[in-house]
Amino acid sequence: MKAELAYGVYATLFAAAVGLVLLCPRAHGRYARAGAVLAIGGVALLLTDLTGRLAAGAGINGFFYVFALLAILSAGRVITTTRPVYAALYLVVTVLAVAGLLVLAEAEFLAAALVIVYAGAIVVTYVFVIMLAQQSRATEYDAATREPTAAVAAGFLLTAAICGVIAQTRWTDAIVTTPAPEGNTVAVASVLLSTYAISLEVAGVLLLVAIVGAIYIVRRDSDIQEAQQT
Amino acid sequence: MTQPSCYMVVGAILFGLGLVGFLSRRNLIVMFLSTEVMFQGVLVNLVAFGRYHGNLDGQAFAMFLLVIAAVEAALALALIVVLFRRQATLDAEAWRSMRG
Repeated sequence: MKAELAYGVYATLFAAAVGLVLLCPRAHGRYARAGAVLAIGGVALLLTDLTGRLAAGAGINGFFYVFALLAILSAGRVITTTRPVYAALYLVVTVLAVAGLLVLAEAEFLAAALVIVYAGAIVVTYVFVIMLAQQSRATEYDAATREPTAAVAAGFLLTAAICGVIAQTRWTDAIVTTPAPEGNTVAVASVLLSTYAISLEVAGVLLLVAIVGAIYIVRRDSDIQEAQQT
Repeated sequence: MTQPSCYMVVGAILFGLGLVGFLSRRNLIVMFLSTEVMFQGVLVNLVAFGRYHGNLDGQAFAMFLLVIAAVEAALALALIVVLFRRQATLDAEAWRSMRG
């Protein structure tokens, strides 16, 4: 793919970035609606244009666009909403959409694990802490971001660089694999338990250490004194 | 069949959005929610590259990424609870003096 074609990618991404700056919560937020139109339009144009050229006649499943747009739009809401509880709920939508993308990529076990671990466990933990620590009314540090323009500029530079490289790389056709006859779960398990067996054990130890560490961090000195007295 | 490079575009955009959220938001909890969005981008990318090379290594790495995400969430939230007990606010600006 020619280098000139990457400029179209940069242009649509820049439009989306400008929209995101306008969407960032701030004290006197105007033009938020124009920002939403710019951001959604830019992302939709980028997705359809770039993926259309990347697919190069191989065809794209229509559900890919549905899940990709849903994931990106709800991820945008995670970082722009002023209510932390809504941010956590939009993260659930992002996770479910990404799980849909994984199913399309024939990673069914990973999709199920993602829904169970993320939507079921991690987000619930976040919501717990939000309920523990959050004031009921909206707070001023949620209503205004610090340096939204600089932050979006950094994100734009990174994303434009990655997308530009993706657009200019000559991708050979992916190695076509037929789905494993015994199913995706068995296939992933055989890789995990043979090639990566030691890493899997280390991951288990890491989880245990993290849980003990988290309990140690949040303990109060008064809890320890009570335990010693009894 | 959808080409793996199409998934990489989605992964890049998700990672960029998470980066913007982490840099710009002031609420500690929302900052760490943004890192979870970045994790989603990396996850899509891992699966896409595994598919591109026609093996399951990408999905195996993604399982380890899930483990790291769970560990990160547990430790980060424990630290946030401790910080909230010290100063009854979630504002990251309240800890400005730690910048040095």
